[in-house]
Amino acid sequence: MAGPLTTEAVVLRSMRFGEADRILHVYTPMRGRVSAIAKGVRRSKSRFGGRLEPFFHLRLGLHEGRSDLMTVTSADTLSAYPRLREHGDALDAAARACDAVGRLFETSDPHPEVFNLLCAMLGQLDADPDAAAAPERRLSFRLKLLLVAGIVPQLSSCATCGESDVVSGFSAAAGGVVCAACEAGSFGLDAGTHEFLVAALASPLVDAPQIGPREATLADRIVVAMAEHHAHVRLRSFAGGAR
Amino acid sequence: MHAPPVQRLITELSRLPGVGSRTAQRLAFHILRADAAEATALADAIRDVKEKIGTCEVCFNLAEGPRCTICLDERRDPAVICVVEDPGDVIPIERTHEYRGTYHVLGGALSPIDGVDPEDLRIEELYGRVASGVVREVVLATNPTTTGEATALHLARGLHERATGLTVTRLASGLPVGSDLEYADEVTLGRAMLGRREL
Ligand SMILES: [Zn+2]
Ligand SMILES: [Zn+2]
Repeated sequence: MAGPLTTEAVVLRSMRFGEADRILHVYTPMRGRVSAIAKGVRRSKSRFGGRLEPFFHLRLGLHEGRSDLMTVTSADTLSAYPRLREHGDALDAAARACDAVGRLFETSDPHPEVFNLLCAMLGQLDADPDAAAAPERRLSFRLKLLLVAGIVPQLSSCATCGESDVVSGFSAAAGGVVCAACEAGSFGLDAGTHEFLVAALASPLVDAPQIGPREATLADRIVVAMAEHHAHVRLRSFAGGAR
Repeated sequence: MHAPPVQRLITELSRLPGVGSRTAQRLAFHILRADAAEATALADAIRDVKEKIGTCEVCFNLAEGPRCTICLDERRDPAVICVVEDPGDVIPIERTHEYRGTYHVLGGALSPIDGVDPEDLRIEELYGRVASGVVREVVLATNPTTTGEATALHLARGLHERATGLTVTRLASGLPVGSDLEYADEVTLGRAMLGRREL
């Protein structure tokens, strides 16, 4: 499939390479995660300007050679998200959102819903940085990624015996909530955190239900454990969000 | 396939930034072909720089001795500190001849996803210098990249919390001289518009 390719893309990551180049990881709707080299982009006269920095939503021209690394031939901005770049917590939330997408969806399998979710998150961080960088929005985003990845925790009944609906713990190995009889190897799960997980999965990102700091820490631990146990991906815990 | 000493040289060279295995092999064969004096001079220069150059105890710039030449220069204004990511960033600012204050080298930029947290950089040391009360202004000159901006925002918050009355400034974003407006990205051009000045 060599030749030119035009696609929408969000820049997940940008690494210095050689004298003046950068290697990018971008996320696309139909080609999943793509690695590409942008030549000369660090020179001040580069026609790419700052467009290939993380979080830019672009229409990207790529040339696909024989190697895995494509070459960036053009970049037009669809959204630059300038406001989130002026806000420390929003920058942190955006970096972690891109990192989670890049790790959980590192193949070329198409997941347009992941692309749309990422654009929604970045758009919300730009429109209302304080609200969108809050723990509930970050957690809701990660839970929705787990859902697409097929590793969302089972929350309705015990993941081990399937019977009791009186849950008392969470087990990443079992893949969800567990009842008192099955709770070996699990950690305690309170009703508030359980309700948050259910409600966050059922509502759009922008309507993520409120959560307290203690529940947020536990919900984050659950997300990190699911990703690690079922996708072998280590997501960095965000330890409550701000700062 | 190479004799072990040759392979070792290739391995060491390929650790250098921007050097792939093929370049490392080319460099290794260049060194093999060079006369002994030339090759020894290279080895000596590497050993020398590692033995003689350390970091300045005040600003963490490169220094031959406990303090760097800038911190030792009495004509430099100690009330102004310019914060940069790496020692290599000091040189381009010095070349402008527009800055007469001192520096503070952080040793990188914040990037929590890569495991670079505030305690991994020389941030507490910066707060310590500011706490002395001598400092009037801190210029944040981290790179205008995502991680550089995040670092600048983090420092601005931390500095304001610790020192009321301190002026914290950020290098202006703008259009590179000799570039084309047509190619400027929207963030740069937007900031250049916001930071316009009267003529
Ligand atoms: Zn059970
Ligand atoms: Zn110094």
